[in-house]
Amino acid sequence: MGNEEAVFFSRALTELTLSFHIIYATIGVGVPLMIMIAQWVGIKKNDEHYILLARRWARGFVITVAVGVVTGTAIGLQLSLLWPNFMELAGQVIALPLFMETFAFFFEAIFLGIYLYTWDRFDNQKKHLLLLVPVALGASFSAVFITIVNAFMNAPQGFDIVDGKLVNIRPILAMFNPAMPTKVAHVVVTAYMTSAFVLAAIAAFRLLKGSDHIYHKKALHLTVKLGLVFSLGALLIGDLSGKYLAEYQPEKLAAAEWHFETEGEAPLMLYGVLDGQEVKYAIKIPFALSILAHSNPMAEVKGLNEYPADEIPPLYIHYLFDTMVSIGMLMIAVSGLYWLGSRLGWAFIRSRWFRWILFAGGPLSVLAVEAGWWYAEVGRQPWILRGIMKTPEGATTSGQVDLMLYLFALLYLVLGVGSVVVLRRMFRRNPVEREIADREAERIAEEKAKGGDPA
Amino acid sequence: MTLEILGISVLWTFLFGYLIVASIDFGAGFFNAYSVLTGKERILTNVIQRYLSPVWEVTNVFLVFFFVGMVGFFPSSAYYYGTTLLVPASLAIILLAIRGSYYAFETYGARGHKGYSFMYGAAGLLLPASMSIVLTISEGGFVDIVGGNPVLDYRALFTSPLTWSIVVLSLAAVLYISAVFLTWYANKAGDREATDLLRKYALIWSLPTIITAGGIIWELRAHNPEHYARLLEFGWMFAVSAILFVGTVWLLWKRRNYGLAFWMLFGQFAFAFYGYGFSHYPYLLYPHLTIYDSFTNPAMATALIVAFILGLCLLVPSLYLLLRLFLFNKDYVKGKKSDEHA
Amino acid sequence: MNEFLIFYAPFIVLIGVIIAAFVISPFDDAVTKGPKERKKK
Repeated sequence: MGNEEAVFFSRALTELTLSFHIIYATIGVGVPLMIMIAQWVGIKKNDEHYILLARRWARGFVITVAVGVVTGTAIGLQLSLLWPNFMELAGQVIALPLFMETFAFFFEAIFLGIYLYTWDRFDNQKKHLLLLVPVALGASFSAVFITIVNAFMNAPQGFDIVDGKLVNIRPILAMFNPAMPTKVAHVVVTAYMTSAFVLAAIAAFRLLKGSDHIYHKKALHLTVKLGLVFSLGALLIGDLSGKYLAEYQPEKLAAAEWHFETEGEAPLMLYGVLDGQEVKYAIKIPFALSILAHSNPMAEVKGLNEYPADEIPPLYIHYLFDTMVSIGMLMIAVSGLYWLGSRLGWAFIRSRWFRWILFAGGPLSVLAVEAGWWYAEVGRQPWILRGIMKTPEGATTSGQVDLMLYLFALLYLVLGVGSVVVLRRMFRRNPVEREIADREAERIAEEKAKGGDPA
Repeated sequence: MTLEILGISVLWTFLFGYLIVASIDFGAGFFNAYSVLTGKERILTNVIQRYLSPVWEVTNVFLVFFFVGMVGFFPSSAYYYGTTLLVPASLAIILLAIRGSYYAFETYGARGHKGYSFMYGAAGLLLPASMSIVLTISEGGFVDIVGGNPVLDYRALFTSPLTWSIVVLSLAAVLYISAVFLTWYANKAGDREATDLLRKYALIWSLPTIITAGGIIWELRAHNPEHYARLLEFGWMFAVSAILFVGTVWLLWKRRNYGLAFWMLFGQFAFAFYGYGFSHYPYLLYPHLTIYDSFTNPAMATALIVAFILGLCLLVPSLYLLLRLFLFNKDYVKGKKSDEHA
Repeated sequence: MNEFLIFYAPFIVLIGVIIAAFVISPFDDAVTKGPKERKKK
């Protein structure tokens, strides 16, 4: 296998693994917080439904976490297997957060085990809720540390290069690189947002399928509201990311926006097609790019023509960027309407078509996360370590990468189908209506045994 | 003690931890699948599930910790091993993925599903075989430098008796470690029938374990004389290991003190594993890579060690809590606590 | 200003929305009570 082929297949396999892993990782980061909020609300309001909601989410969460863990292990090892030259170089500077991530993950794993198996062990539910704090913290900090590594690839710092060797290495400075705050915050908040909308989609789906139980209505109400809050956060942080890009990675922003000439009063282009350097059929929002980049409608935004042709990313990332932004905006609009409607008593938010839209919000949010990561990764090309190492230099020289790609594709198919089948089976066999009835019967039996009045 | 030695000692310890917990885990998965398929489910599944359920995810972390630490402390090992191990390590990842996820599918989604049990039992059995290849490769003789890049010689690897002895050892050891531990666990749970069956398995697998272990030392004499000479320097450690092995088997045979039997087994593997590790020093990969020429810069090493100590302060109490609540909780082990799973 | 926006503001927003999420989540009158009951309040 020639080296070019090895590079191509290494990229394809990494992209496949990350695209698959990110679905489970996003749920893994966001859902613990949702479980925590639901259980907290349940305890606070003394409402059995929210506690049961937390419990059922936790049950499903285990399945997704298992797939997240094993695919996370896969990407962790694949970094060394497919990009050995990159890891040898980057390992010297950015190994610290990678190492810390394993601790965060360890911490989460231990407490998740405890949390899952102690549902009825404590008389005081608050103690049980307390066990979830390290799970949620560990999950979110795993994301923080891993995203720091990715941020480093975009804005490497904390070392000097003398005669091709890395010297004067400062690991902490490398962690707090300029890309880190916006990237970390954006990844974490969108994980919360996506998880909220995925859970909302489940509730919406149950309501569409004929259930009229108040349990699902509460679930939908809670998750859509949470989705609204987190998507507003994602919007704000996304705007800050624009400022970061304009300052430190202008070519990535310019490529996403098909912005060729450096100029002030730059408009934001949505969709459209490219004809040479001319953008056609696009929706133009005047001044918006200047505002995104520098919070000033007059500000000058650097264009792609300032860069050598072999150092700009592929221009199709424009569509990835647009997909991410459009879905984000759509979700803000949908959840915002729902929230307003629920306060003002608008009937349409309980209509079937609106619930179908809420249902679609789950998969769409996942798609937005995918598009966002594709944009982030392809937008960094041709660099694997911006300004220092190009992607082909980092790749393995080994053959057989193509065979591994097919094997892993098969594996992800098996895991993806398997997790969906198991999740469906789990919740089909134990619908919430029956569980609520069972728990009620149990409670009455217990009261009777104590000799009290069951009412 | 230099930073290099400190680093490799920490990693070696984590690898040892993984060896023990993963062996118990993989072996338990295999015995579970075996009992489901042969209709002995009633006897074994309960004990095995009780142990496995709350800890499976923790097991995996030991491995992740090891290889992330390896890249952190010895970045060049990422280059050498990363380039040569593409195929064997990818296969191991795939098996690990099947095992981990199907375990969760069976336990949380479809208790007692035969297909799922078989999937993770079989994957668990193939895993030690595929992982042990790394140890074989580290002995040298299978990696050539072609055009400045390391390349694995598959033909030499798969025709070497050393490879296959290590594979057999890893399989036997996994089943042996697991059976001894589960005998103790079943005994603590007061489950006579399961104890007897697992004790039988432990005795069956003790013999292949010790024979292949001895055989490997003998084969190393021809394969890597330098390493063999170093092994002899640490001969006393292997002698202690052998004595502990006899002790474990004797206690099992006499049906006495299964707890002590397990800790002697723990000691047996510790002495052998560290003896092997010391004698391997300073090489990470004979003869290309030592811990000295692959070591990271002092700034990163210091940062990693500080992070490690802080991390341990967080982990040790949490692990203790986990063990107290489940592994060493009499009511839980005996099954008096009802299943409190979400 | 730009430094503040790039280095500090993202975390402030993140922490802000997490707190906001806890603050707003207990309110569910819109689904648990009918429109008439709410008007009475």
